[in-house]
Amino acid sequence: MNAATIIAIIVIAAILFFAVRYIYKEKKKGKTCIGCPYADSCPRHRQNGAACGSTEQHNMNIR
Amino acid sequence: MRIAFAGNPNSGKTTMYNALTGRNEKIGNWGGVTVGSKEFQLKKEFAGDKEVIAVDLPGAYSMSPFTPEEGITSEYVRTANPDAIVNIVDATNLSRSLFFTTQLLELGIPVVVALNKTDINEKEGTKIDVNKLSAKLNCPVFETVSTENKGLAEMIAKAISLAGTTQKAPYLQADIDLHDKNAVDAEDRKRYSFVNGIVSDVETRKTLSAETTSADKVDGILTNPIAGILVFAVVMWGVFWVSQAWLGPLVADWLVGWIETFQGWVAGQLENSPAILSALLADGIVGGVGAVVGFLPLVMVMYFLIALLEDCGYMARVSAVMDPIFKRVGLSGKSVIPVVIGTGCGIPAIMACRTIRDERERRATSMLTTFIPCGAKIPVIALFAGAFFNGAGWVSTLSYFLGLVLIFLGALLIKGITGYKYRKSFFIMELPKWKAPSLKFAFKSMMERAKAYIIKAATIILICNTVVQIMQTFDWHFQVVEEGAENTSILASIASPFAILLIPLGFGVWQLAAAAITGFIAKENVVGTLAVVYALTSFIDTEELAMTGGANTVAATMGLTSVTALAYLFFNLYTPPCFAAIGAMNSEMKSRGWLWGAIGLQLGTGYTIAFLINQFGTLFTEGHFAAGFVPGLIAEACMVAAVVLIGKRVRAHFDEQYQLHKASKAAKATA
Repeated sequence: MNAATIIAIIVIAAILFFAVRYIYKEKKKGKTCIGCPYADSCPRHRQNGAACGSTEQHNMNIR
Repeated sequence: MRIAFAGNPNSGKTTMYNALTGRNEKIGNWGGVTVGSKEFQLKKEFAGDKEVIAVDLPGAYSMSPFTPEEGITSEYVRTANPDAIVNIVDATNLSRSLFFTTQLLELGIPVVVALNKTDINEKEGTKIDVNKLSAKLNCPVFETVSTENKGLAEMIAKAISLAGTTQKAPYLQADIDLHDKNAVDAEDRKRYSFVNGIVSDVETRKTLSAETTSADKVDGILTNPIAGILVFAVVMWGVFWVSQAWLGPLVADWLVGWIETFQGWVAGQLENSPAILSALLADGIVGGVGAVVGFLPLVMVMYFLIALLEDCGYMARVSAVMDPIFKRVGLSGKSVIPVVIGTGCGIPAIMACRTIRDERERRATSMLTTFIPCGAKIPVIALFAGAFFNGAGWVSTLSYFLGLVLIFLGALLIKGITGYKYRKSFFIMELPKWKAPSLKFAFKSMMERAKAYIIKAATIILICNTVVQIMQTFDWHFQVVEEGAENTSILASIASPFAILLIPLGFGVWQLAAAAITGFIAKENVVGTLAVVYALTSFIDTEELAMTGGANTVAATMGLTSVTALAYLFFNLYTPPCFAAIGAMNSEMKSRGWLWGAIGLQLGTGYTIAFLINQFGTLFTEGHFAAGFVPGLIAEACMVAAVVLIGKRVRAHFDEQYQLHKASKAAKATA
């Protein structure tokens, strides 16, 4: 196995690892559309936001 | 401490909220952009050491909600007890804005008025005596320009200092019976006359609102039902021509040159490595992702132009033109907003449907809005327009206008199935003032979209391309597929059954079926997968400074005619959107029946359009129907039968639900 092959394997593994980790993290944050600039402002995706199908659509945070 | 930002639609609340918090919420030069409340901490430069939360609320004309968004604002300021309210008043339209202001002042919560957009007033020669206005309203008034951060620091400092005090109202509503419409109307009229009294005292206008200005004359043409649509068609054609036939490919050429060089370098480095590694890294990852990224300049130019149109106020005029047509086909006037937003991304478009009050109209709109091609579909359109139609601008224009026509036809179909009768409904949307579009805003909007596009390409599309490359390289025994035996690969065996269904559409090969399937993960994947399965990593000709033209590699490798290429393009555009958008539809519709109905309608529409184009296109160009005409016709007949059956079932339930004498009729029948 030559050096180029080893580097290629490491590069492929690293690229895939970081891509999967990014998607996993975003999904964990509740974002459906990866990369969307407005995902945070979308009422469905905010903290204590209403879950899909909930009747509390607008995520009012009344205290 | 919590400060609520409330005001009329399009008064600049979210622009101010973004400036004060450093957030990047969606803004637009038209009312109704914000549909839910948002909150975030104020920047230190405005709040100092205190922890101050700014709450951005949807626009409202009054405390008596007419729309769901107004309801959110009204409920929040009434029940959430913010420490202070910043009332953003559109200084260019004082008389309309102060109605809501006087209502807010009655709540007892300290109010600070931000007289926003004063820069426009200066240009128009309108003067407002701020001190006099402040005295009349019993609250501090500050002149602000959110886009330039002018007056914001002073205004926020005052709002913070007033927290905990009690607001004295300059006008108090009489103690009337709120169920008595006449009494409420009379009270509103009194409030209006109070407001008008204030306005006549504090405001001096150079141009009176009643005068017909040149802008009004332009609006008359742009909102005319016929001229307005013609102008819209020309404008959109111009946008597509610049973004996809001229400037976009010119910039793309430079980018693709770099990607190609890099890909060649990677392949060169892996010359002595196993072929699978070169295929995976050079072809799958660099080539596949590069093929998608190559279209980035086209997408960026298009978003820049759309942002300019939105910012100058033109898109609001388009909404006004479309409104009567939408209502006629059984949708809401408000359905226009999701459709316009849908040109960017289907998910926020579907979310925007929640402002539609009627459940059936809301569901129908979220079902149909994704027929408008979103940004993710631009690379697909650009690829096919470039490879098969010499980059003609009409392909994009046709794609968007056909999307609109399908929305209308789909709405009519839903109207027929649900037995809906036309009723009058009102869509009130204020036409924003014309203004020179901000290049900064358009650039920011473009860069946000570009960032989203790159992130998507580097994550979802990259993984999909890698998986596709692996599935194409190996067979089910995990042996590398020999050259000439590609049909034995995992990908080919999975996609082949689907390909059979596509024969009547003219593209019944597993490669095209596989690309269409991966498109459900993200629509850009169609381009990425085609690049991988056909080993075509460059769709843009770097020597000709244009999209790869007609009888060349792409067209030849895919083995499609212009007719079948158009059929395949439209199949990808009008079949269901990506899974994320389907998820959004599910959450907005809240009905399994409607969701499956939507997926069925979109699949049927995409299939039917592709079938008609392929069969009749082949008939016109070659004098005979294409292969699979009869099976395709049978499939179409099954779809029609399904629609008729669903319609009958829906109406049968409708009768059961509303029949008053069901019991007696049943008894008669038994007798």
